[in-house]
Amino acid sequence: MTGPLERVLRVLLADTAAPHYGYDLMRSARVPSGTLYPMLARLQQQGLVESEWEPRHDDAGGRPPRKYYRLTGEGIRITRLELARARPPVRSARAGRVQPAPGSAR
Amino acid sequence: MSGAPLVRQLAEWRIRRACRRLPEDMREECYREWMAEIPAILGDPGGGRGFVRAVRALSYSAGISRATRRLRRVGGGAGGQARPAPAVPWRDGVPAAPPRGPAFRATVGVGIWLALVLVVVAVIRGLQPHSLWQILPGLLAAAGFVAFCLTDLAFAAQVRYLPKWGWALACTLSIPLGGIMYFSVGRCRRARSARPDHLPHRS
Repeated sequence: MTGPLERVLRVLLADTAAPHYGYDLMRSARVPSGTLYPMLARLQQQGLVESEWEPRHDDAGGRPPRKYYRLTGEGIRITRLELARARPPVRSARAGRVQPAPGSAR
Repeated sequence: MSGAPLVRQLAEWRIRRACRRLPEDMREECYREWMAEIPAILGDPGGGRGFVRAVRALSYSAGISRATRRLRRVGGGAGGQARPAPAVPWRDGVPAAPPRGPAFRATVGVGIWLALVLVVVAVIRGLQPHSLWQILPGLLAAAGFVAFCLTDLAFAAQVRYLPKWGWALACTLSIPLGGIMYFSVGRCRRARSARPDHLPHRS
């Protein structure tokens, strides 16, 4: 599992009932939009994530409805398993990083 | 936030362009989803100052551009490169231009040479104390040549090495050279454009 995917799944799993909009996912998982949307499309194809359009609110000020993403039941199960296998997140991410740029190490 | 309308237009323009890359069945939904995010980003109270939000919106739309390139591969189904996108995606249904024969190329050549000769004559005359009437033929020739290049560029289905706007810029800025470069290297001839190693420039 790659770093961005893991971060996105963690954010989705942190609150499985809440609607996660694309931009919010980008910010909280620190993933650029160029990576996030293909990833979400793939997860949707695999049936792990579902998407829905938000209902139109009167207080939205004429803003068009946004689309949000949620883990499916199957997605929650598989994500828990995968994240448990990938733990501990911080340390493995550090260890997996490539060596520092020349000159930066003392 | 004085620049917000312009920023919003720019971001939306970028998304619109990016969505043209997508296959028909995804295009509409993706377009609606991403367009809805732009006002949300620009109006996000936790998104920092107006300037920061503007940068966020622009980088969001730039990311969409990358996303559509990948989505085309993901959504396209069988095989990554199996179905290359048309170079001018928003003209999907338009049939390819009819092949251009030697007569057309000869006309182009004669046009270039006439323009060159006129430009040289104009420069030589312009070196002497000049009046408007003396440089007028040169100006006309230059304008004609630029117009010729831009028309050809506008009707070309695809160009090589530079995007179309790059060629338009080159043709306009360096007057005979840009156009000559365009006709010699930038123009896709029909025989070459079919070859996979001369991939046309997308976007």
